[in-house]
Amino acid sequence: MMPAATLVFSGRLRPASFAAFARHRADRLDLALDALDAGPSAATASVSGPAALIDAFEMACSLGPLDCLVLDVTREDRP
Amino acid sequence: MSAWIAVALSADVEAGTTLGTAVDGAEIVVWRDAAGRIHAWEDRCPHRGMRMSFGFVRGDRIACLYHGWQYDGDGRCRAIPAHPDLEVPATIRIPRYPVAEASGLIWVRPVPDGTADVQAPPDEPATPVRSIHVDVPAADVAAALAADGLASLATAAVQPIGPARTAIHAVLPGAAEPAARAALARRLEALRRRLEGAEIAEVPA
Repeated sequence: MMPAATLVFSGRLRPASFAAFARHRADRLDLALDALDAGPSAATASVSGPAALIDAFEMACSLGPLDCLVLDVTREDRP
Repeated sequence: MSAWIAVALSADVEAGTTLGTAVDGAEIVVWRDAAGRIHAWEDRCPHRGMRMSFGFVRGDRIACLYHGWQYDGDGRCRAIPAHPDLEVPATIRIPRYPVAEASGLIWVRPVPDGTADVQAPPDEPATPVRSIHVDVPAADVAAALAADGLASLATAAVQPIGPARTAIHAVLPGAAEPAARAALARRLEALRRRLEGAEIAEVPA
């Protein structure tokens, strides 16, 4: 069973831009994007795959696209 | 269909070295592996965007200077030093450009992940002379070269680096003497001075 995590990125987001960015990074890291919901103040992404690549996904989305400002990240790991 | 663009003299990219350049603003890393194979890729590591041309070649791989991510000749990431046990997914890769070597020059088709199905330039014996950079548009350089009449005695391939920066890569046909190479180099330097409107006088031979 692959590691999985649910990450919540909160801040000031453009939902469509953030969602596209998260999908692109999940694809590049070959993670399964099990769920993604993006709003103007928070986006929730559930991913599964190798732990190191989930870490990379968290880091990438913490920076986010140029038109989004991520101020906080919370993460819940599912074994 | 994109034509082949010369980006360097073959002699200027030794085995185990990299060269950073650009075609119409698209940044390209040209690197030669230990076996002598030439590669031309997008000059950006997919990790944090560091230029791969700052990286280092080890055997048949190139590693990014920033965090050491290693890529094989197919552009695929094969090792991440921070995660030595990680099986790196095939999705982490660098777009490659079709590349060929002919007549002493390295040629690239500026189409990321493009095919090499366009006929490569002819491969004739040649002696490398030099590459020279000129801060004017490629069209102006091409016109000046045509007016100078260089095409009858040498190959001076024009590379559009950016909107106002161009490279000329010059070779002489066959086995050329040092005096002929020096003469062509001075002629190109004079051409650059004319194009850039330099006030300084020519350096005496």
